[in-house]
Amino acid sequence: MDEFQEILQDFLVESFELIEQLDQDLVELETRPDDLELLNRIFRVAHTVKGASSFLNFDVLTHLTHHMEDVLNRARHGELVISPDIMDVILESIDLMKSLLHIIRDTSEDGGVDVSACVARLDKCVGGSGVVETPIAQAAPKVEVKEVVEKAPDVDALDYENMDADELEAEIERLLKQRQAEDKAKRESRKGEGENDTSSDSDNYFEEEDEFEPVIKVPMTVTPASKPAPTGSNSDDSEDARAAAPAKKAQTVEQTIRVDVKRLDHLMNLIGELVLAKNRLIKINVDVEERYEGEGFLEELNQVVSIVSLVTTDLQIAVMKTRMLPIGKVFNKFPRMIRDLSRELNKKIELEIYGEDTELDKSIVEEIGDPLVHIIRNSCDHGIEIPKIRAEQGKNETGTIKLKAYNEGNQIVIQIDDDGKGLDVEMLKRKSLEKGLITQKESENMSDKEAFTLIFKPGFSTAATVTNVSGRGVGMDVVKTNIEKVNGIIDIDSEIGVGTSMKLKIPLTLAIIQALLVGVQEEHYAIPLASVLETVRISKDEVYTVEGRSVMRLREDVLPLVHIGDIFEVERILDSSEYAYVVVLGLGTSKLGLIVDTLVGQEEIVIKSLGEFLKGIEGIAGATIRGDGGVTLIVDVIAIMDMSKRVKASALKDTTSDAAMLTREKTKPSDYAVMIVDDSKTDRTIMRKALEPLGVTLVEAGDGQEALSILKQGDYNFDAMLVDIEMPRMDGYSLAIEIKKYNRYKNLPLIAVTSRTGKSDRMRGVESGMVEYITKPYSADYLSSVVQRNINFRSEFLR
Amino acid sequence: MSDKLKQVINKQRKHEEDSSKHSEDIVQLVGFVIGDEEYAVPILAIQEIIKPFPWTRVPQVPKYVVGVFNMRGAVIPLIDLRLKFGLSPKKHNEETRFIVMRHGDDIAGFVIDRLTMAIRINKSKIGPAPETANGDDTAIDGVGKQEDRIITILNF
Repeated sequence: MDEFQEILQDFLVESFELIEQLDQDLVELETRPDDLELLNRIFRVAHTVKGASSFLNFDVLTHLTHHMEDVLNRARHGELVISPDIMDVILESIDLMKSLLHIIRDTSEDGGVDVSACVARLDKCVGGSGVVETPIAQAAPKVEVKEVVEKAPDVDALDYENMDADELEAEIERLLKQRQAEDKAKRESRKGEGENDTSSDSDNYFEEEDEFEPVIKVPMTVTPASKPAPTGSNSDDSEDARAAAPAKKAQTVEQTIRVDVKRLDHLMNLIGELVLAKNRLIKINVDVEERYEGEGFLEELNQVVSIVSLVTTDLQIAVMKTRMLPIGKVFNKFPRMIRDLSRELNKKIELEIYGEDTELDKSIVEEIGDPLVHIIRNSCDHGIEIPKIRAEQGKNETGTIKLKAYNEGNQIVIQIDDDGKGLDVEMLKRKSLEKGLITQKESENMSDKEAFTLIFKPGFSTAATVTNVSGRGVGMDVVKTNIEKVNGIIDIDSEIGVGTSMKLKIPLTLAIIQALLVGVQEEHYAIPLASVLETVRISKDEVYTVEGRSVMRLREDVLPLVHIGDIFEVERILDSSEYAYVVVLGLGTSKLGLIVDTLVGQEEIVIKSLGEFLKGIEGIAGATIRGDGGVTLIVDVIAIMDMSKRVKASALKDTTSDAAMLTREKTKPSDYAVMIVDDSKTDRTIMRKALEPLGVTLVEAGDGQEALSILKQGDYNFDAMLVDIEMPRMDGYSLAIEIKKYNRYKNLPLIAVTSRTGKSDRMRGVESGMVEYITKPYSADYLSSVVQRNINFRSEFLR
Repeated sequence: MSDKLKQVINKQRKHEEDSSKHSEDIVQLVGFVIGDEEYAVPILAIQEIIKPFPWTRVPQVPKYVVGVFNMRGAVIPLIDLRLKFGLSPKKHNEETRFIVMRHGDDIAGFVIDRLTMAIRINKSKIGPAPETANGDDTAIDGVGKQEDRIITILNF
């Protein structure tokens, strides 16, 4: 049984791969029905599936594929011309085959799908005339079908049954020769026709689209009416393609190995960890460099760090590449879709595909399939006009949809252009107003670009009549959601009567992104660099308020502003400086200025989810682990844009209420608190002894870091600090500078107690905000009096 | 002296018998204190217990979610049980610990005031949670009675 399962798995994988190719081949076949290479390929698919399914005892599937094979066999022997109607039947049978395969995948059994009607129609094709009548409503019962099967003249097969080996050999040889002769004759006749044919569409395209390398071209003309045997108008092209195709095939046969996606995902996760470790290593290297400046081993460490970071980056790219799939995987299903749609809508539509070799991360390829289907359907349904109208407007009756994919920096761009009627801005606005999606005021202030994005509003549908192709008002908003899910953006451009162009810009990979790290107060946030247009430094008076919202002028535009602290409810402890930085975020057409306190830098970050428990926090897309081991949250730019409309503007307002806390009334000596910061225990004890008689509360800290964390904890309201200058980890000057950043401690008297007596030392002390400078050694009384003076010690407490 | 020794040996033996007799009925718990009350969680639900650690605040979450922290590459939410149980926040001190617990794929860290001890308790001594606490979102799994103490057993 296990063995069977294994074979079954292989069978399914193979079949689905074959079918994917099949769809495209079949549509191509319709334009060049006499392409033997193509026919053979299609025939082989049907044949392979039939063979395998009969071996695995899937009777229904075998039954179906057997009849497909029959039709195709005849076609490739030139006994049958593939007309659009026959093609419909074949395509239908392929659809059935697909659903059967899906059933087999899910249940390991075939059945549940009625193939008899389709088989009967397939059979009629083989029956000769090539014209299929609409089948009778009720499906032909199975018995009847069988009868038809038997009646169907499968002449070759019957004959062979009775032949002996020699005869068979001879027969095969005869058939081969016959076919070669037929091929030759056909080819020559086609060549003749091709020379007569002067208006070859495809040549024009080559000239027009020079900037895009047309990797594959699928030009096809689909006419709604059943057309007789195709004319030679396409033969030039098919000749070319046929000559090129086999050669290309031979080159691109590469050795491949099938790998479970889970393993690749695991590998990607490991690489992610490695990137984080690399970031940490780089940070440590910087720290070490600062501390041990000029030491010999530094250079060696530097080398190792750069090698590790280089290799990690390469490794990351290499693994990313293994996850890359050509976007052709998605594009392949569109020729078939366009064909079906154009027949259904009675329009003439031509699809051109460029750059289908462009590669994308597997997870993204899976995500963009549906949005693209929606967009293309929309283009067919609402974009391209019916042939009559097109002719009246002097356009080519056949509408063209161009599907292009190309790389642009760290992004991939998928562009869908149609030459249809374009988007009517006024109509879009009117519709949105009618449906209450926008207000009158909004509609008046709207630029054309913004109006185009109205089609992505939920509940919007521009089709006057609802067809089953599109226009149910779902769809385009789903497109937007799906594209945004992979951090992509959509850009629309349109001109009435000329066409519409949509650009989907999607990052190459999901897991690792470039981010801009910004600081607000003591917190850091990461903003995906793809959404950052620019950063500017502004002074506070450049911020204006309009209708309660902060805005600023950025060159010609007015940019709405929002403080990141307002969005993320950050407590304002630190004093905001004279200047602020504005990160200009761009998403499609909308822009927003995000005010931050500091710009930290650009870093490669690995996106990690916040887990089940914390998912769905508005404005947070995830988290990443930084070089120092801390967690930094990643900003969800799309959500921020929404949130910015709601948060109150308190941008750049000063908060001075904290200072009030310092001036609380003192009723007893121990209400005064003084911190002693010195790395030497002895020195601390000396100071303690000098101050203890006052009865004030004394807190000791061993270095700057410790002092700072005691301050941050806020257990005491300090009235003064005695600070040593020479200390490990953080010296007195840096400590003073750090402390002065806090609103609360801006006016806290800092008293330097040091053995450094140089003038420059004193100057540095003043610069960093020290109010007094006591040099060691000092007398206990002197220290006590300096402290008393600075904390405004009330004399009545003196005993 | 020998009497004492015997006593000790007897006691030990008795203890062993006890535990072997009821080994399947014994639940092992880790006890800790939040505010004035003692709580316990099944030892098997605990991934590790660590000393306080820098964490990152997360906006727009309930107050008791203090943030997220990095534990060997995983981003883990941190929940303050004092706040969760409606007590006032308290500064972390020497005794404060994070208990990291796993339930299926969900991992979370919980801030507790102080650890007490590992507890072995007979299943029969665990009663249901009091009626008043039988809400939908109660974390109380049961109440263990041990000598003179009552321990609330939590289930995350």
